[in-house]
Amino acid sequence: MQTLKLLSAFLKMNIQMSLAYRADTVVNILLNLMWLGWELLSLSIIFNNTETLGGWGLGELIALLGVFRLVNTLMIALIWPNTEKFNQSIRDGSMDYTILQPVNSMFLVTFSRITVWRFWDLILAIVLIAVGINMAEEVTSAPQILTFVLLAITGMIIIYSLWIVLIALTFWFVKFDNNVTILQALLDAGRYPATVYPVWLRVIVTFIIPIAVATTVPLQALRGELGAPQVLIFVLVSIVSFIVASRVWKAGLKQYSGASS
Amino acid sequence: MFLIFKRLWQVNWAEQWQYRANLLMYLLYWLVSPIIYLAVWTSIANVKGEVNGFTANDFVTYYMVLLICDQITSNIIIHTFAYKIQDGSLSGELIKPIHPVLTSALVNNIAFKMLTIMGLVPIWIILFFLFKPDFSGVTLSGVLLSIPAMILGFLIGYLLSAAITSLAFWTTRVYSIHEFYFAVILLFSGQFVPLPLMPKVIQDIAQYLPFQLFLYYPIQLILGKLSTGQIIQGYVMAGVWLAAAILFFNWVWREGVKRYSAVGA
Repeated sequence: MQTLKLLSAFLKMNIQMSLAYRADTVVNILLNLMWLGWELLSLSIIFNNTETLGGWGLGELIALLGVFRLVNTLMIALIWPNTEKFNQSIRDGSMDYTILQPVNSMFLVTFSRITVWRFWDLILAIVLIAVGINMAEEVTSAPQILTFVLLAITGMIIIYSLWIVLIALTFWFVKFDNNVTILQALLDAGRYPATVYPVWLRVIVTFIIPIAVATTVPLQALRGELGAPQVLIFVLVSIVSFIVASRVWKAGLKQYSGASS
Repeated sequence: MFLIFKRLWQVNWAEQWQYRANLLMYLLYWLVSPIIYLAVWTSIANVKGEVNGFTANDFVTYYMVLLICDQITSNIIIHTFAYKIQDGSLSGELIKPIHPVLTSALVNNIAFKMLTIMGLVPIWIILFFLFKPDFSGVTLSGVLLSIPAMILGFLIGYLLSAAITSLAFWTTRVYSIHEFYFAVILLFSGQFVPLPLMPKVIQDIAQYLPFQLFLYYPIQLILGKLSTGQIIQGYVMAGVWLAAAILFFNWVWREGVKRYSAVGA
């Protein structure tokens, strides 16, 4: 309850901040539409030259683009702005004030900045997913859609947990302010099904920086390629990674000694 | 003049060297897209045998050479210069008797380029063994001819980017304008796919634009895919566009400096 109240307070604050830059918001949305146009054009170029990509049709790739955009929004609306603020607060010691609050510090650090206009991106992503599923030729059953949603959520939790671990490392290595670049760098790999990549690249995007777990895997569930045991494994992995991330965060906090004093 | 450039080089090299960890991250960030395009297109070509005349090996060699060409012809002036106009720190450079964009910023870009190429070499060798491209079509004359072509491509790209960066004299939204310009390059340079695979309209327009001189033209030159006529045509295009880029940049810069009010001074 308290968490929800805080979240809505954060939202309000961030809306006020972004209202100060209305024209920028309009420009950003236009640029965003331009990139959507480019993404659809690139898909149409691919499918002008082939009927399937690794067995996936155009509809499925449009749905994948939608899921990719969900992860991308998580990245741009939450991960980037909060990491920037966090790195700053470790360097100048203003992290002190965050820890003093009577709220879970991990929550405070990861949700205090939200790029609000990106909500528009979420709607766009959901539209893309719906259109993509409709375009795909195979009929999709309700359980398949449910596992798809479930796995999209677990994928996001896994990426969120990895992010926590990466920024928590800053407690030990103060100058590690490139902490999320690696996540951002490999994000582009989420645009296409990981099954078409060479093995070494597939291993990287599945096990090391698990972008594919949040993009390709949910789509595989939608295509009915995953059995119950596999789905269970992904759910368990997301729970475990979240627990590990919270532990690392707590251990990191103990390392923190302030910067100014 | 030579002494000035030598000094500038020492300063800028030292400055870039300081950020080598960041540079490596940038390199990684920049590498991912071409490798993914490579993977996607080779997987299609492997299934179908060929795509519009392109075999899997054609795609592998195209993107492997693209990694090198892009590193040589691209520039980062928007990131190293626009903020100087915005926060007024350009004032100090304007009173020096040398052109800030054509000396200091240019050398800075080249130093950055040298360092990233140093980082790229080992990665490129690893990729070479992973993808095993067959470079049998490459000839010495093609490679030699591509070097001036890439330098011309870099100069044209640098001047056009510098002109866009100079729009910061008028608007604070110069980064948005640059993002749009970046998308235009993506569309017409052959970065996503070799131009013959693009829709016909885009190919027709791309022919007259300078952006293919950044990537598609030098790549095809190295791979030995161009006829003598096409090579000459490319060089003529590059000459014309270089002249146009010089005039355009000079005009934007001159008007811009007139408007410059040195914020914070």
